[in-house]
Amino acid sequence: MKRKSPRMNLLLLVSMISTVLILLLLTMFLVLRAYRTSLVANVRTSGSRTVGQLTRIMEDYLSDIRENMDAISDVVSHDIVNREEYFDVFLQIRPEVIAVTTYDAEGNLLHCYSADHVINESFAAHTNLSFDASKINLYEEEYISAPHVVTLFEGYYPWVVTVIRPIHTVIGEAWIALDISCTNLSNDIDDVGIGDRGYCFLMDMDGNIVYHPQQQLIYSDLKEENVALISSLDDGVIEEGTSIYFVQTLKESTWRIIGVSYVQDVISNSVINMARALLVSAIGILLASLLLSAMVTNALTRPMRDLIQAMEAFEKDADHFSYQPVKGTREIEEVSQSFGHMVGKIQQLVETERNEEITLRKTELRALQAQINPHFLYNTLDSISWMCEQGKNAEAVEMVNALARLFRISISRGHELIPLADELKHAESYLQIQSVRYRGQFTYRFEVEESLLSYLCNKITLQPIIENAIYHGINGLVEEGEIIVKAAEAGDDILLSVEDNGMGMTEEQIDSIMKKAHSDKSGIGIKNVNDRLKIYFGDRYGITIDSVPDEGTRVHILMPKVTEEAAYENV
Amino acid sequence: MKMSKPFRICLVLLLCLTLTGCQAARVSPSRQYNVWFIAKSTSTGFWRSAFSGANVAKSEYNLQLTICGPDTEEDYEAQNAFIYDAIADHADAIVFSSISYTENAAAIDAAADAGIKVVVIDSNVNSKKVSARIGTDNVAAGKKAASVAIDAGYDSLVIGIVNFDLTSRNGQEREEGFRTAIKESGIGAEIYTINVVTDIEVAKEETKQLLLAHPEINVIVGLNEPLAVGAAEAVAELGLGDSVTMIGMDTNVRCIDLMRTGNVSALIAQNPYAMGYMGVEACYELLEGASYDPDVWIDTPTILVLEETMFSPESQRALFSFE
Repeated sequence: MKRKSPRMNLLLLVSMISTVLILLLLTMFLVLRAYRTSLVANVRTSGSRTVGQLTRIMEDYLSDIRENMDAISDVVSHDIVNREEYFDVFLQIRPEVIAVTTYDAEGNLLHCYSADHVINESFAAHTNLSFDASKINLYEEEYISAPHVVTLFEGYYPWVVTVIRPIHTVIGEAWIALDISCTNLSNDIDDVGIGDRGYCFLMDMDGNIVYHPQQQLIYSDLKEENVALISSLDDGVIEEGTSIYFVQTLKESTWRIIGVSYVQDVISNSVINMARALLVSAIGILLASLLLSAMVTNALTRPMRDLIQAMEAFEKDADHFSYQPVKGTREIEEVSQSFGHMVGKIQQLVETERNEEITLRKTELRALQAQINPHFLYNTLDSISWMCEQGKNAEAVEMVNALARLFRISISRGHELIPLADELKHAESYLQIQSVRYRGQFTYRFEVEESLLSYLCNKITLQPIIENAIYHGINGLVEEGEIIVKAAEAGDDILLSVEDNGMGMTEEQIDSIMKKAHSDKSGIGIKNVNDRLKIYFGDRYGITIDSVPDEGTRVHILMPKVTEEAAYENV
Repeated sequence: MKMSKPFRICLVLLLCLTLTGCQAARVSPSRQYNVWFIAKSTSTGFWRSAFSGANVAKSEYNLQLTICGPDTEEDYEAQNAFIYDAIADHADAIVFSSISYTENAAAIDAAADAGIKVVVIDSNVNSKKVSARIGTDNVAAGKKAASVAIDAGYDSLVIGIVNFDLTSRNGQEREEGFRTAIKESGIGAEIYTINVVTDIEVAKEETKQLLLAHPEINVIVGLNEPLAVGAAEAVAELGLGDSVTMIGMDTNVRCIDLMRTGNVSALIAQNPYAMGYMGVEACYELLEGASYDPDVWIDTPTILVLEETMFSPESQRALFSFE
C-alpha cells in the first residue's frame, strides 16, 4: 500500500516551528557573540582609562614625594639650625611619612626623625630594614625599596616603602631615607575598580607588590597574584587566560600600576545571565509561535477538512446533499463557494436528467397504451362476426359498442388521467368482451364506492390486471370463476383491487409479473402499470399482489385522490 | 478567525510568563545576604585582624555585614543578646566565636532553628546545628611549638608549660600536641604545667615562681597570647633570655619586641585575618547552596617565626598586620 502523505497541519506546524527555532538560535548566537565582544571591549576601554587615571595620580604622588625630598635635602645639606622644628612640622603635615633617617657615607645611621616614636638604638643597630649599608651602590640614584616593616622602634612596626637618595654635603651626611606608609596608598588605590570585580594594585619592577587592596589577604595566603607572570608583561592590555591585565609603568619610576579584570567572572556571568534571559524569552517565543502556528494551521486545515467532509457527503448522496458554505480564510471560502456552485449545477443536471428520463418513460408507456393487442382485436372481431352469422344481432351490437367504448376510453382525447368512472367503464367493456370470448368460464362484478367516481386515475390501469386474472387465474379453471373489481376509499388514497378465485400464483410467478416489462403479448403489462403509478404519484403508490395458489389472487392498486389532471399530467 | 477561549487564555498567560521570566532573570543577582559577625571581643589585635578579613570577604561577595562583640572576653550573655538581635534582624548567617562552649549553645540552636546558617570560628560551641567550623589546628600548633624545643639542641629537656584554664579545649589540645611531639622525638623530657587565668601579670608572676622553683627548666611555653607575653616577660625579668628557650603563641607586639631582645625564641602565628575572611566566605557559600562538614575543622594555617629569621619577608608577613 502507498504511504499516506503527511497531513497539511503537521507540515505547516513543523515548517513554522523549525523556521522559528533556527531563527531564534541564530539570533541568540549572534546576539550573545556581539554582547560578549562588546563587553570585552567595554572592559578593555574602561580598564585602560581607570589604570591611566590611577597612573597619573600615582605619578603626582611620587613627584610630590620628590619635592619633599628636595626640600629635606636642602634642609639637611645646608645644616639649618632649626632642623628639629622643621621635621616636627614636616612630619605633622605628612602623616604618611613614618620616619626620616640620615646616614653617613659608610651607611651608619646618623639621625632619625619620627612624629610619635623614639628610635631604639640597639634595635636599629641590630636590624634596619629601611637602609641596608651593603647595598649602598644601589642607592646612587633615587631608590625605592620593596615594602617592609620599620624596625627602628619598639612596639611599632608599620609597613612602609623607603625612598633613598644621596645628598651632597660638607658635614658627612651622605644618604637620606624616607619611610612612607604603604597603607596610606589605600585611599588612592582601594576604590579603583574595573568592572564588577576588577581592581588595581601597585607593583615594582622586581615583582614585589607595593600596595594591593587585598594585601593582607595575600600575606595570609588566602589570595595569590600571579606575580611571576605579571612582572614579565610589558605595558599595555594583555588578555591572559581568564584575566585581562592592564599594565602601566609610572614615569621615572620602578613602580607599575597593574589593573586586573576577571574576564571569565565578569563577562561569562553577564553572558550567562543574558543567555538565560534570552533562553527564557526564546522559549516564550517558541511556545507562542507553537500556539500561533497551531492556530494558523487549524484556521487553514479545519475549513479544508469541513470541505472534504462536505465533498464526501456529496459523493455518497448527491440528491439530498444540502450545501452549507464553509467558513475560513478567503481562499478557502472561494473554493467553498465554487464547490457550492458546482454542487448546485450537478444537482440541477441530475434533476434534469431524471425528468428527461421520466418524460421518456411516460412517452414510452403512452406508446404502449396506444398499442392494441392484435390477438385481442382479432378474437373480438371473430366473435362479432360469429354473432352476426348466428343472427345474434343484439349481442353483436353490444359487443361492437363495448369494443368502441374500449377504444374510445383508451384514446380519451390524449388525456393520461381519466375519471375513475371511465376507467371502470373501460374495465367493464373489456370484461364484457372477454366474457363473450371465455363464455361461461367466469362471472364478474363491480363493488365501487360512488363517491370515488369523479377522482382521476391513470387510464388502462385495471385492464392489464384483469387480463392477467383471466389468462393466469380463470383460464384453465374447471369450474366457473369470478372476478371482482373493487374501488374503496383508504384515507386520502383510493384503493382499487382486482380479485379472482382462480389458480393463484406462486411467489416466483408474482416476481416475474412484477418485473417483466412486457407480457408476451403486446400491450401494457402489470409492471408498466406499477411503474407508471410510481412515476406519477411517488414510490408509496403502486401495485401489491396477494396470491394463494388454488385459492385466488388479489391485486391492490393504491393511488392518491387526484382531482386535477394538470398537477400530474405534465410532470 | 474565531479563536477558542482556552486558546486565547493560554496565549495571554504565555506572554505574561515570558515577560516576568525576562524580568526575573534581570533582577535576581541583586539580593544581598545579611551576615552577622559576633566575636569574643572588639578591641584586641587578634579580633581586629579577623574583622578586616571579614570586611574584605564582605566586599568581595557583596554582603551586608554587621560586626559586634562584647566588651570583655568573658561576657557570654552579651554574645547571646547579639545572637537574638541577629535573629530579629532576619540574618541569613552568623559567624560566631564562642566565649562559652556551653552557655552560648542554646542561643546558637535558636538561631539555627530560625534558619540561620552558623559558622563557628576559632572557638567552638556545644551545638549540633553549626554548619561549618574554621580555626587553628591546635594540636598541630602544639606540635610546631614542640619542634622548636626539640631543635634547640638540648640533651634533655625540662619544660615549663604555661597553659590556661583546664576547661579550655583550645589550650588542652595545644598542650596535648606539644606533649605528643616531645614524646615522639625520643628526647628525655620533664614537663611542668601550670594553669593560670589569661592575664599577663598573673602569668608573669606564676612563670617566675615556676622558673625559680625549677631553675633546671630550659624551655618555657606560653599557650595563648597573654600567657606568652607574661611568660616572656618573666624570662626577660629573670635575665634568662640566653639560657631558656621561650616559645609563645600569637604575635603580640610585646612578644615581638622581646624576641628582638633575645628573650623569645619562637612564636606561633595564628591567622585571625584568614579566620574572619573564611568565616564570612563560608557563610556566602553555605547560602549559595554549598555544604561543609561541620565536624571537620577547616584549618587556618599557623606559621612558625624564629628569632633568627624574624625579618625574613615571610616572617614579616606573618608577624605584622598590613593595616
